[in-house]
Amino acid sequence: MRSNKLLGLIYANVHEDLIPELTSVRSMASLPFAGRYRLIDFSLSNLVNAGVTQVGIITKANYQSLMDHVGNGKAYDLDRKAGGLFILPPFSTADSDGKVYEGHLDALAGIITFLRRASQEYVVLCDSDVVSSLDLSLMMKQHKETKADFTIAYKHGRLPKNHKDIMVLERDGNRVTGISFPNESESVDYSLNITIVKRELLIELVEETKEKGYTSLSRHLLAHSLNRFQIYGYAVTGFAEVMDSTQSYFKLNKKMLESRSRKQLFCPERPIYTKTHDRMPTRYGLSCRVENSLIADGCRIEGTVKNSVIFRNVTIEQGAVVEDSIVMQGAVIEKNATVRYAILDKQAVVTQDVTAQGSAAKLLLAAKGERIE
Amino acid sequence: MKKTECVAMILAGGQGSRLGVLTKKIAKPAVPYGGKYRIIDFPLSNCINSGIETVGILTQYQPLELNDYVGSGKPWDLDRRGGGVHILPPYQKSKGGDWYKGTANAIYQNIPFIERYDPEYVLVLSGDHIYKMDYSAMIDHHKNAGSDCTIAVMEVPLEEAPRFGIMNVRDDDSIYEFEEKPAHPKSNLASMGIYVFSWDKLKKYLYQDEQNKASSNDFGKDVIPAMLADNQKMTVYRFNRYWKDVGTIESLWEANLDLLNPKEDLRLDSQDWVIYSRTHSFPPQYISPTSDVENSLVSDGCEVYGKLEYSILFENVTIEEGATVEYSLIMPGATVKKGAKVQYAIVAENVVVGENAVVGENPQEIGELDQWGIAVVGEGLRIGKNAVVKAKAMVDKNVKEGETI
Repeated sequence: MRSNKLLGLIYANVHEDLIPELTSVRSMASLPFAGRYRLIDFSLSNLVNAGVTQVGIITKANYQSLMDHVGNGKAYDLDRKAGGLFILPPFSTADSDGKVYEGHLDALAGIITFLRRASQEYVVLCDSDVVSSLDLSLMMKQHKETKADFTIAYKHGRLPKNHKDIMVLERDGNRVTGISFPNESESVDYSLNITIVKRELLIELVEETKEKGYTSLSRHLLAHSLNRFQIYGYAVTGFAEVMDSTQSYFKLNKKMLESRSRKQLFCPERPIYTKTHDRMPTRYGLSCRVENSLIADGCRIEGTVKNSVIFRNVTIEQGAVVEDSIVMQGAVIEKNATVRYAILDKQAVVTQDVTAQGSAAKLLLAAKGERIE
Repeated sequence: MKKTECVAMILAGGQGSRLGVLTKKIAKPAVPYGGKYRIIDFPLSNCINSGIETVGILTQYQPLELNDYVGSGKPWDLDRRGGGVHILPPYQKSKGGDWYKGTANAIYQNIPFIERYDPEYVLVLSGDHIYKMDYSAMIDHHKNAGSDCTIAVMEVPLEEAPRFGIMNVRDDDSIYEFEEKPAHPKSNLASMGIYVFSWDKLKKYLYQDEQNKASSNDFGKDVIPAMLADNQKMTVYRFNRYWKDVGTIESLWEANLDLLNPKEDLRLDSQDWVIYSRTHSFPPQYISPTSDVENSLVSDGCEVYGKLEYSILFENVTIEEGATVEYSLIMPGATVKKGAKVQYAIVAENVVVGENAVVGENPQEIGELDQWGIAVVGEGLRIGKNAVVKAKAMVDKNVKEGETI
């Protein structure tokens, strides 16, 4: 059998309340990141780089841009006859009363048929708001060696405090001995919401908990199952970051200006795949000045760009200044305009001579297509 | 199934020997262009944009990379159910087989391919031209004129005409004479190597040409003159936008740098005639605080720490701190190390230019201009520390530390 033993499942609509401005027009999974990517590219790439050939994307709302981005999965080599990419929108049944799922656990109840039909022995559940490059095959290897029921990828560091359902793990070696949900903590092992479990067990648990009305996988199930199941942690040492606010989204984008972060996230052994476009390379004009910036293709840069992340097809006209900002696809900064400490969503325009300026503490946000005049 | 009106045949088999080390391992149409393209992207994109969905690519020289690049034709939307793009190498037949002897013979050997689609017209294209052209307008012109053969031409300065195949025409643009590289040209209408033929006529002349043992089986030398001699209706189709044959090092270099010239109208950024290519998922380019980038084209995956002026960086190129790149093309995956200088040069894929090495020379610093030319470094080579590569050099092996060539 050529198919891989691992089925991928990605939650597309997670924690959108943490970055409300940018997810009002899209799912978390399709949030643009690092100049040319969408968040889901990182989960999908981790999966396919580990040899996964079947992936389901669990959606809830606003998934048009997501479908447009992933298409038939071609960019990830997931356009397959056997397996491939599946978009799994909410499923309404007679007894669901038109309600949409709330948590990670009841979301699985809606896709139980997909889970049953799959042939893989294991499932890996991934949240789409994690930017990481991790070798899932090593995690899988540990999962088998420890004979764990659940293996949860974790990172050591400061807890993304705005998150409500990030588990903090206490460990004895890799064995998880305690799960808690503190409000704030400087130095803990926290879950990256990437979890491996046997498919049969997952199906069983979804059915069992459905009757009890459980919705959260972490709070309702795992936190109370330390005696029932063998839960293990898998330490992620490479690049892995979880966003918990618009501010942290901004910071994480700017972190990509560090050479070390780029080398970790875009390591040649595990490429990050994304939908590609047919745009020409970026043109730098005669009078441009560019410093410490990440710039995607299709841009025209005539002005000054500093400490910024510039997405595809952005135009920065003569005399314009862009500093410490995130400028998304298709935005235009007209002549002599100034942009500082801002996030400009797609196709935003800052008109001639206008200054659009936020501060490090309070970023300026321009909505998709907004004109700042 | 809808009828195929026109089949395009792209001649991609030439060795491209004038491109020297650049075509040592790859066919000319697979040579990188414009930061992210290959030359073949132009005829393929022109075809799909013109509504021509059946394309044959005639290959025979170093076809591996070209085949790999074209693949199923997906990047150009040429993975069609009926038609699509086909790579057509020479093959063995029951009565033996031959290499493609000439451009006309290449089409002759693929008559069965064309016949499968039973087209009205066959469009013959070159795989080494950079231009955007609506072939459907040329085919309409062919139909309206009731021609047997239509040849695309462009006006060139009369003094340059001796370098081209020149069409001499009557007032109604019908051709009465074709002169290959005439010493004393009568007109300035240069053939662009783009032909539309009515298929039944072409087929007849291909059979006839094949019978003629003295023929070199070439369109320009044999088939076109034979059709003219028989008074077939032949007309020119005038084209006056950007077009460049990139068959030489100088013209390839120029055609690339033309992308930085706002006066040239190739306009790769326009969305109404997109040039498609096989794209990759490399990270965006990073331009560092130590860099100085001006008037250049930079592609995905590049990291620029040095000075860059009037140059084109292809994908995944690294220019280290203190390095300078001017008036040059740096092809995918190459690295220019600290303090090195690359000027008036083409550096092929995955080359490493060592620290403080100098590649190429500024024509203004060379007394005699005939001593000057673009320096070229072949694929995957290493230029050692402090080495010097002179103008016009064509480097085909590693250059040792401190060596001058």
